[in-house]
Amino acid sequence: MKKLLLDKVDIPDIKSFEVYRREGGYQSVEKALKMQTGDIVEEVKKSGLRGRGGAGFPTGMKWSFLAKPEGIPRYLVCNADESEPGTFKDRFLMEYIPHLLIEGMIVSSFALGSNTSYIYIRGEYDWVADILQVAIDEARQNGFLGKNILGSGFDCNIFLYRGAGAYICGEETALLESLEGKRGLPRIKPPFPAIKGVWGCPTVVNNVETICAVVPIINEGGEAYSKIGIGRSTGTKLISACGNINKPGVYEIDMTISVEEFIYSDEYCGGIQNGKRLKACIPGGSSVPILPANLLLKTAKGEPRLMNYESLADGGFITGSSMGSGGFIVLDEDQCIVRHTFTISRFYHHESCGQCSPCREGTGWLEKIFYNIENGRGKMKDIDLLWDIQRRIEGNTICPFGDAASWPVAAAIRHFRDEFEWHVLNPEECLVRNYGLAHYADPLEVVASN
Amino acid sequence: MSVQFSQEKLDEVNEMISHYPEGKQKSALLGVLHMAQEEFGWLNVNTMDYVASLLKLQPIEVYEVASFYSMFNLKAVGRYVFEVCQTGPCMLKGSDAIIEYIKKKLDINVGETTKDGMFTLKTVECLGACGYAPMMQMGKYYKEHLTPEKVDQIVEECRKNSERNN
Repeated sequence: MKKLLLDKVDIPDIKSFEVYRREGGYQSVEKALKMQTGDIVEEVKKSGLRGRGGAGFPTGMKWSFLAKPEGIPRYLVCNADESEPGTFKDRFLMEYIPHLLIEGMIVSSFALGSNTSYIYIRGEYDWVADILQVAIDEARQNGFLGKNILGSGFDCNIFLYRGAGAYICGEETALLESLEGKRGLPRIKPPFPAIKGVWGCPTVVNNVETICAVVPIINEGGEAYSKIGIGRSTGTKLISACGNINKPGVYEIDMTISVEEFIYSDEYCGGIQNGKRLKACIPGGSSVPILPANLLLKTAKGEPRLMNYESLADGGFITGSSMGSGGFIVLDEDQCIVRHTFTISRFYHHESCGQCSPCREGTGWLEKIFYNIENGRGKMKDIDLLWDIQRRIEGNTICPFGDAASWPVAAAIRHFRDEFEWHVLNPEECLVRNYGLAHYADPLEVVASN
Repeated sequence: MSVQFSQEKLDEVNEMISHYPEGKQKSALLGVLHMAQEEFGWLNVNTMDYVASLLKLQPIEVYEVASFYSMFNLKAVGRYVFEVCQTGPCMLKGSDAIIEYIKKKLDINVGETTKDGMFTLKTVECLGACGYAPMMQMGKYYKEHLTPEKVDQIVEECRKNSERNN
């Protein structure tokens, strides 16, 4: 397949403006500045591009919602607060091909009428921020940022903003609060950022990968982009693969390949580490439901599951999952579902902003109950209690964080309840060994017999 | 003890404030807190009050922000802080064993600092390096694909660097 984002990433010194430009970089800026801004938005709409941060909302539509009142500035903010466990694709883009993001930012800023745009990068990516700053400075020195860019009359500055270690700031309204120098507490919506965003001004917040994807869309046209992929999963998607696989890393895929091919082919994950068997996988970052191997590789209808928005979600949360942010976490047969979900619940407890009681209290309860079950101190009724708590968090909070904390717990119990029960029934044994695959039918044989 | 940025740092603060609209200098708060922590090691009340005065904020506006974000140290830390990721993907690749190894090697628990003030061990949640697990942050950079041997090397290097700088 033809790569659109990572096609040039292996070229030596592609981080530098000179090489990036020589390889055709910043052409989309030259092209876009000659277009009507409305036509750029139209191209993005035509492309079918969906937000790459996790929610998958159509980018062109998001852009078209931006209010344009007279005399009030509009802002573009790039969400580079990548913090979803399993996700490290934005870091890869910014670290290895930083000018692609800057190029996308300039085109998007022009399309939206933002003369001052911000990149909100997670605080821990300190050295990545340095790389981006060099790219911004180089772009300015070469006339692609600052006043009257390429003689078009369009002024644009891009500033970096470093977060300071709060997952919640990846939620767009929390991000805007943080950008205003406050605690990252999500806002009640409406009003949406497109009407009232940072400093009360209309604002668009887009993920790093989304903004990068604008570059090939402008270069090759929205229609050409929409022809890649399948159905409403157009274009290419970056998947960051991790866990018990032979080749963890960031891969650009077109969304027609199967999950099986992605895991086992040498082009991608290269199969399970140490010749082990596949037990389960979280295909879209820690928030989305975990799937056991049989439901991961085939849908409940027995069709091969594909690496795209629709197929990963096939079956809803009962037998399916979600594309999410593209954080693909693979668990081999030795891994303990209870322990893994415990670490995820601990994560959500640590990161809850504390604004809504169901989430603030509930995530702590989830962590503690998980800790007990994992350490041989759980009771049978604790499993139902976990289920009950996550049901009461989901949908009862200001922002989707509550849902994100609930879904992994629900899916772990839904698909692996016997493993929870085994912990309760074998409080000593569970301290010294994992449940493994011992009590399951080999999921891959189940797949084969379907 | 009063704290004070150098003129160079003050210029940096003003440059940062200029990135935001008139009257929105509060937006520079996280950035200035990062600078202050880098300069003074951690954020005590004096330092936070100083930051408040620079940005024309009430001290409480600084305290509430500094206490919200996990990267800000409100207590003194060692010269080198090991922040080891313990979330799911790192756990799958053996972060628990790495944390145990560091605890034993430095003879401290999580959250503690060695007696010589050299090392602090912290556990942190996902740092976005899941494909290169297990990993930790040390200062500005990530240390990835950790093994006990690699931890030994890192500790050794820190000790050497510290001797050189003294």
